[in-house]
Amino acid sequence: MTTETDGGYEFADGIPINPIDPGNIVMVAGPALSRAEDVARTLVADGSDNGEGMLYISTNMTAEKLLNACRQTHSPFDDTQMGVIDCSGQDAAQSVLGERVKYVSTQSDLTGIGMKFSALYEGLYGVVDQGRVRTGLISLSSLSMYVDLRALFQFAQTVSGRIDSAGGLGVFAIDPTTHETKAVNTLSQVADGRIEVRESENGSGDGELRVRGLPDQPSGWQSFTLSE
Amino acid sequence: MVHHILCVDPDEDAREETVDKLRSELAAQDLRFETAGSLASAEAELTTDTAAVITEYELPDGTGFDLIGAAQTACPDAGCILYTDTDPDTIDTTALRGSITEYVGKDSIFGTERLSQLLGTTIETRVQATYPVPQNETERLAALRSYDLDSPDLLASLDRITDLAADHFDVDRASINIINEHSQDFLACYGDAQDWESMDREDSICTFTILEDDDVMTVEDVTEDPRFETRSETLLDMGIRAYLGANLITSNGLVIGPLCVYDDDSREFSAADEAYLRDLADVAMDLIELHSRLDSVAGDMGEAQ
Repeated sequence: MTTETDGGYEFADGIPINPIDPGNIVMVAGPALSRAEDVARTLVADGSDNGEGMLYISTNMTAEKLLNACRQTHSPFDDTQMGVIDCSGQDAAQSVLGERVKYVSTQSDLTGIGMKFSALYEGLYGVVDQGRVRTGLISLSSLSMYVDLRALFQFAQTVSGRIDSAGGLGVFAIDPTTHETKAVNTLSQVADGRIEVRESENGSGDGELRVRGLPDQPSGWQSFTLSE
Repeated sequence: MVHHILCVDPDEDAREETVDKLRSELAAQDLRFETAGSLASAEAELTTDTAAVITEYELPDGTGFDLIGAAQTACPDAGCILYTDTDPDTIDTTALRGSITEYVGKDSIFGTERLSQLLGTTIETRVQATYPVPQNETERLAALRSYDLDSPDLLASLDRITDLAADHFDVDRASINIINEHSQDFLACYGDAQDWESMDREDSICTFTILEDDDVMTVEDVTEDPRFETRSETLLDMGIRAYLGANLITSNGLVIGPLCVYDDDSREFSAADEAYLRDLADVAMDLIELHSRLDSVAGDMGEAQ
């Protein structure tokens, strides 16, 4: 199915990843200390530089904390095309994002998360140039503490279907050290490629990443920096 | 491939308009629409072949969620899309917690375009299934359908292979299974497995086996495996605690299903065990392909006469 989007989704200079084609889903995998979740958040927030929509399903950070984190790595950060499904479970506070934050009280309510994601996606798709929307699901590992693997797989695959059909970019964070290999392999089936993140071996940059399964990408471990 | 779509809306004009637009925007797909205006009439239309359900939330005798709940039993692989005037923030989703529903607002400025994009993706890639589907699923199913798997001579030969497998592994159950679009069906069975009947694909272990890169899969204990632990009670009732499956691969490299052995105790399988079962699976596939060629030759000779 053709969509309005055409060129690849681009990333800031500090992230050594070539543009990724619309409709792709990437899994960003790394242990807690590796800053994998920060990388996932940044890959979506980089849409701010290109006038694209940015939509987060946030399990650990409230919408306000997430917005602050984006502002720290992106200056200036245009939040007018940002939406958040806040499922951190913390009290819903008034957000500067207004109607573009939707709250789900528990991460086990995948129905609510999915429907509100769809509604927010629809809203962003309508207002951004060429319907270009980046989605960050941060993180799958957190959701897995509330639902079984099969429900989580179904949820991730449904979200990826929505992104694929709309020519978006999907970035799903996962901490593989908290799952069995079989679970990671199953969840990985929803993604087109994988970005592995680790701490830097020589202390340079904010860490290292390598891209697997996507065409025309740098090979091997590459140093990255998150702040501009 | 024909896809059956159930479209439910109490407003008959709106319902017909949605169907007309989907039919036109997805003209390249072979879609068959059934329509209903109430929960009861919609439930009566659900079959195992239903590929997607598109429903309003407010129905005269219930809600769209009631219908989606019924669909999960009748057609667990079907994608469900709420296409509604109702604001998602006002819908109590906790009633359906854990299951996935897509949402498209009827007031979307894109009209049915988003709905048709989503429906297209949903039925093509079966995005709401609870299990991964092979990337070559369409070709795989076509290959499966190309064989005559009802021949009594063939089935008798395959039975002997399950006998050999059960004997080698000293187990009470072995089977050759085929993975159809929505179900797992048993071609040949040994022992207690002869009592098994077709099962939904989402409950099948083998639907994961056909994805294995090395075409063999071991499950030492279903209660300890994250893919099967929530279904382990049913599996244990069937006498399945440990599992070894090896894929039947066509000469074109497509997997139609696996040959499996099952143990009612947890157990490890060695590399030699895996290699042995893989050899037997290859023999089973050779038999299926040879029978197919014999049928073809017999047909040609019949035509010539």
